[in-house]
Amino acid sequence: MSDLTSESAARRDAVLPSRSRGDRLNEWLDRNSRHIFLWPAVLLILVFSIFPLVASAVIAFARIRLQAGGYRVRFVGWQNFEKQIFGSEQFHFLGTFGAVSILGWAFGLAVTAWVIWWIVSYLRSGWTLIGTIGRLFPWGLVLLLGWLLAVTTLSGRPFGTLLTTYFYVLVGCGIQFLIGMGLAFLCSRAIRGRNIFRVLFFLPLMITPIGIGYTFRMMADTSKGPFAPVWQWAGLGDFSWATDPWAARMFIIIADSWQWIPFVFIMLLAAFENVPRDFNEAAQMDGASEWQIFREITWPQILPVAATVMLIRVIEAFKIVDLPNIMTSGGPGIATESMSLHALFAWRSLDLGQASAVAYLLLAVTVITCVSFFNLVVLKRVRT
Amino acid sequence: MSLFTPRRIGQMSLGGSLITYALLLAWAAFVIFPIYWLVITSFKSISDVNAGPVYLPFIDFQPSLHAWKDLLIEDWDDTRRAYVNSIIIALCSTALSVLVGSMAAYALVRVTYAPRFSTILLFVLSLGGALAASLAYGVDWRLAGAVAVAIFVLAVRGLGNRFAATLGNGDILFWMISQRILAPVVVVVPIYMMFQSVGLLDTRTAIIVTYAVINLPIVVWLMFDFFNSIPRDLEESAQLDGATMFTVFREVVLPLSKPGLAATTLLVMILAWNEYLLALFLSTADAQTMPILVAAMNAGERGILWWTMSAVIVVMILPVLVLAIVLQRFISKGILVGAVKG
Amino acid sequence: MDAKRIEIRGMDKHYGAFHAVKDLNLTVEPGEFLVLLGPSGCGKSTALRMIAGLEEITGGELILGGRDVTHVLPKYRDIAMVFQSYALYPHKTVAENIGFPLKIAGASVADQKAAVLDAASQVHLEQLLDRYPRELSGGQRQRVALARAIIRRPAVFLMDEPLSNLDAKLRGAMRAELKRMQKDLGVTTIYVTHDQIEAMTLAHRVAIMRDGVLQQLGTPKEVYRDPANIFVAGFMGSPPMNFVTGRSTRQSIRIGDHDVPLAGLSVRDGREISVGFRPEDAALCDPAEATLTAEVFIAEMTGDETLVTLVGPHDEHLIVRADPDLQIDDGERVGIRVDPDRRYYFDAETGARLRPDGTG
Repeated sequence: MSDLTSESAARRDAVLPSRSRGDRLNEWLDRNSRHIFLWPAVLLILVFSIFPLVASAVIAFARIRLQAGGYRVRFVGWQNFEKQIFGSEQFHFLGTFGAVSILGWAFGLAVTAWVIWWIVSYLRSGWTLIGTIGRLFPWGLVLLLGWLLAVTTLSGRPFGTLLTTYFYVLVGCGIQFLIGMGLAFLCSRAIRGRNIFRVLFFLPLMITPIGIGYTFRMMADTSKGPFAPVWQWAGLGDFSWATDPWAARMFIIIADSWQWIPFVFIMLLAAFENVPRDFNEAAQMDGASEWQIFREITWPQILPVAATVMLIRVIEAFKIVDLPNIMTSGGPGIATESMSLHALFAWRSLDLGQASAVAYLLLAVTVITCVSFFNLVVLKRVRT
Repeated sequence: MSLFTPRRIGQMSLGGSLITYALLLAWAAFVIFPIYWLVITSFKSISDVNAGPVYLPFIDFQPSLHAWKDLLIEDWDDTRRAYVNSIIIALCSTALSVLVGSMAAYALVRVTYAPRFSTILLFVLSLGGALAASLAYGVDWRLAGAVAVAIFVLAVRGLGNRFAATLGNGDILFWMISQRILAPVVVVVPIYMMFQSVGLLDTRTAIIVTYAVINLPIVVWLMFDFFNSIPRDLEESAQLDGATMFTVFREVVLPLSKPGLAATTLLVMILAWNEYLLALFLSTADAQTMPILVAAMNAGERGILWWTMSAVIVVMILPVLVLAIVLQRFISKGILVGAVKG
Repeated sequence: MDAKRIEIRGMDKHYGAFHAVKDLNLTVEPGEFLVLLGPSGCGKSTALRMIAGLEEITGGELILGGRDVTHVLPKYRDIAMVFQSYALYPHKTVAENIGFPLKIAGASVADQKAAVLDAASQVHLEQLLDRYPRELSGGQRQRVALARAIIRRPAVFLMDEPLSNLDAKLRGAMRAELKRMQKDLGVTTIYVTHDQIEAMTLAHRVAIMRDGVLQQLGTPKEVYRDPANIFVAGFMGSPPMNFVTGRSTRQSIRIGDHDVPLAGLSVRDGREISVGFRPEDAALCDPAEATLTAEVFIAEMTGDETLVTLVGPHDEHLIVRADPDLQIDDGERVGIRVDPDRRYYFDAETGARLRPDGTG
């Protein structure tokens, strides 16, 4: 035993180089590693995300004129925002206002009643100051959107880029979620060839959005596209997607869904496959039907993933710009213009102040919607 | 035995599997058809495209290579430049954001940070002040920046520990991930001006850095959850054996995170490869990427060159397809860890 | 000898408002095998992690071999640790796992190889060097973890419940091997466990902790035979010590129908006193000559003995060891006679041990 230890001591001295050999740089790196790991990311974000964000805020309160050798900046206060909300750009951002139809009144009042019911039931269930302040935003937003819908499209007038953006987000993401989940559910069952389906369904995600925009323009062409004979047969040979607002919006949602359903599909498929078989089998033993198994066992299990996936999808959907830009250029009129595209057009007409103001309004509604979704749905339903 | 009773234990009923296959095949057709149409359009002659729909090569129409000839021979210089640009930009920006993002994610998993709230507030205020001064009142931006830094440093020193409210790792993580909410149009104007002022407009560097930053939140988010799922014992054991944070990261953490890294890399690379809007702003000629080339096929007066455009899009899909097939087995496994805990 | 003395002086650990380890004072002699024992959440693992340097020490000092290492990075402490999960790197082979500490230290490939072989032979792993951890059994993984710890010849071994993932049979075998190896290597070892049998069999000395406070430090025999308080008494032994509680009246305690004399203890009247006795220090007898009476709940024959569980006067469960041939019916009323020299008295409120020379 004793020779074992003395031998090992000798080996240790031979094997381990002395510590002083470690040079100073390595020592310094080691000691500061907690900063070296984090700071590159923080710096990149500060310079390329926070700085532009603050700069954009400054620009949103200014009017910028490009001149020879630079630009001239004049502060105009809230003018850029006022113009969007009350002024000459109101029709563009919010929509065209006028007398409210009966349908509009009914819908607006219904929305108001619903929000009041929501407020009352929240206050009854025990409220906190912060909770109330936090909920003021979604309450206000729902009221705003509800009445906007009531006074514009429900009263027979076009709405602006705000509601168009929400249309893309809510309807588009809704469709994508339902179809994506359906496909994932089908694919998660014991079927043959699901790896082929998996790869196949993933394809659209790999194609550049602008390519998808043009491809769908081809597809939808009523005289040269692949479905032209169908259009001719239906007597719609002269129909153009780009002349009817709702058709054009649906057209964009179809292309958007074609691209993004794979994303929802692949995430939810993984979630479905992650549900332990035991649960399923235990439920079968208890005599549950397939639908009951899905509703009582599978759905609660995939809910956290589903909520997160949809949060990501909603965040990305608010930014939609390539598809309407390519497929319809925002037309007819402004019917398919999203807020992102609105800002892009403003930038193209060199009105940087307006562009930044619209971009900030977009940021505000995105943040309110996503944070509300996160706090009221993801945290509450999923994480309790 | 009805159509909907399972034939054997553990199998679906005949009717169930028929419906399942029918639905899946229907969706497969919906997915495939536009891609098929793209591919055949790239082999169609101009007249075949313009005359109305033809569907089957060799039966409906004679394939022609004119679009491919245009793309790969006549305009080879443009094509090559865009392709090389796209490849370099996708690779470099992905490498940059995956490296920087996973390091930050790892640090947020394993190190406790406590930035002071007042410091952050001061930073934003001095930044806004400097910007307002230089933009609105024509103060030289270098001067404004220097003054802002000085005020910031002095104020931080002066405040000392008086306002001790601190933020935690979760707040930093949320801050980083929340950057993804920013639509490119919100930040593109100042980024454009910034690159203009340092003379980097229309360079690959500008686009690489910008893409790396917009994709950083995705990397941080996915990798944070992946790193979080690695048993801490492994790292602590290495630490006791004398490994530095860098060694632990390289020897233990990264090898264990291969699925997550693969999935994240694929996702980020696809996003960088396909991005259009920022490239449109930041490049005019030299740094043009493939999506710009796609848009360039909309040649204004002559209408859209559908055949060549289709060829460009097909060329764009190929490398991603290869990459996705190579990394396929990692995709769902790697992404899920992030998604489950979100 | 490489072995070093470990001195822990007033060590504290706060997590915000939570005080995980409170003023821990402990000296581990060179070559000693010390076991930190306690229920989960008692702070024993935290203490171990502070010694390793994985947790910051928020108060007090840690002296290793005469050197203050309170704020020294773990890698400079010359400590090896075996984790409960073994912490084997799944992407490295057994040989790479064992050799990792030397690779980090920058040893040459040839030296690494020789040292790995040496360490592997000590734990009988020579045949498995090319395997991956997932291809090994639990016991083999345990050996890999041990080999990785000994390859560096550290001054101190720390072990965090290293045997708790093994099945009962293997645990016994590994326990013996571990003890022998520690003896051969002569390395100062601190071993954390919640299993009092491991503590009794392995330790030179046992330190029992509860709620972050050291309850008692002593040899296994001391803590078993002379517990400092009711917690230690109840924690050591399997089955554990029995307790019956009653109120003190004039040199005795009233328990049920019986008066248990307070042998030589001076206690004020009306105090709640717990009397403790171990299952092997009591015997079943006729109720007439018993220390106390109880009702049989169940009798379990374990082979060499029968454990009789009884329900005491205040519905407490009491366990008494009896002859394996004992025939007894559930529900039968029996007496328990407790060896007068093997009774332990505790203040029921504070849990403190009441000794004959002490004052109550």
